[in-house]
Amino acid sequence: MAEALIDRLDRAIDVIVSRGDASAALADAELAPLAVVASQLRSCPSASFKARLRANLERRTAMSIVLEPTVIREGFTTVTPFIQARDSSFLDFITKAFGAVEIASAPTPNHIHREVRIGDSMLMISERASMASGSPHGSFHIFVPDVDRVFERAIAAGGKSLSAPENRPYGERSGFVEDPLGNYWFIGTSLGPTPVPQGLRTVTPYLHPRSAPSYIDFLARAFGAVEEFRAEHQGVVMHARVRIGDAAVEMGEAPERGENEKPGFYLYVADVDALHERAVAAGAKSILAPADQRYGDRLAMVEDPLGVTWAIARPA
Amino acid sequence: MVTITGDHDERALIEAAQADPARFLDLYDLNFHRVYAYVIRRTGVRAEAEDITSQVFERALANLSRFEWRGAPFVAWLYRIAANALADRRRETGRDSSDPPPDVPDGRESEELERRTMLFQLVDRLPEAQRRVIEMRFVEEKSIREVAAVLDRSEGAVKQLQLRALENLRKSMEGRDG
Repeated sequence: MAEALIDRLDRAIDVIVSRGDASAALADAELAPLAVVASQLRSCPSASFKARLRANLERRTAMSIVLEPTVIREGFTTVTPFIQARDSSFLDFITKAFGAVEIASAPTPNHIHREVRIGDSMLMISERASMASGSPHGSFHIFVPDVDRVFERAIAAGGKSLSAPENRPYGERSGFVEDPLGNYWFIGTSLGPTPVPQGLRTVTPYLHPRSAPSYIDFLARAFGAVEEFRAEHQGVVMHARVRIGDAAVEMGEAPERGENEKPGFYLYVADVDALHERAVAAGAKSILAPADQRYGDRLAMVEDPLGVTWAIARPA
Repeated sequence: MVTITGDHDERALIEAAQADPARFLDLYDLNFHRVYAYVIRRTGVRAEAEDITSQVFERALANLSRFEWRGAPFVAWLYRIAANALADRRRETGRDSSDPPPDVPDGRESEELERRTMLFQLVDRLPEAQRRVIEMRFVEEKSIREVAAVLDRSEGAVKQLQLRALENLRKSMEGRDG
């Protein structure tokens, strides 16, 4: 008795899937039309891939306001740390400690705007003599090839040791320094294959929210931040990282450092007005409504619930 | 139902997505199978086709504001992005490939791609049990025995579902061609 169609089809499919060969099946008149369809199904996409890619795109559309890479000036990423200082002592420190190079400065009678490069990372400094003495503090995670050497250099440059270099459980050897302005520098060498972990640059800004989850939620709603990882220990978020556009911001809950710290960021985006509106809707306070600045950038400023200042800018 | 979108609808969708990026997902839903059909024809390898397809839609989303409507279907723009992504990949791997060259499809190939697209969309619309059998047999390359174990059915029942699924697909495809 001839083999039933249902079984002939099954054997044909085995051959088509494993060897891509439908010739035998095509010679069987009853089977041939089904074999044609079966050969085409070999290239059928996976439903889970289709769903996964859709979910990825959905996340990206949520952050696409800050995702237009063409508007960012060369050397910058979406987020640039923005330090307020009274004088050049901050610049002096990072030059001596980390080999910072000043790329540009724009002095006016009572204010200097500086742009500085450390490794492959940019920092902006705003110097103003009238800055209150208890100037805002920031924290930075900086990756270097040799933490012990840079730590020594930072101490020699006037930094205060918070913790000498040692191997940390999160995969890096690091030492912590407070600079003369009160900023913290977490100096690390990754214990992985390269000194700088993949996907990061030399300098990553570091924040100390009282509650990391609610702050991450704010950053997502305000700036389209996407959480990358979160390490908790006994209910405390020790270390977490979010991505905003092509830049990373890190944080760890540290009650003793508290929320009176007010570092700042310079955020390059495609649409200043839209992001300003979105940040305010997410709970930020507007400090400066969007306006074209004399130096070319369109600029708005908001203060987030942590007291962090975000300059939202589009270059001329 | 396979949705065939008229020029007018497509233009409206693109403009909506340019104004609100969340609407890009509509363009994705309409064009995913076309792009994948184009890419898999040129790579033959599933993992690579998935990589390239992801790149195409990520680049399209990032550059959507620069897309200008000139009357050509949106998918032609996606094919061009895909051709560039495939060419980049070839340069990276330094591979001298016998796959079809990564150029934009001509009329004849476009028709073939539309047929594939219809077939893939029809798979999505099969009754769930049939769809899962097709996915496991052709995408995951599982044997009948493995599929039967996952679905907790007899091998005979799975073969029956497999036959019905292929007959459904063949009938629907013939209906469209005729």
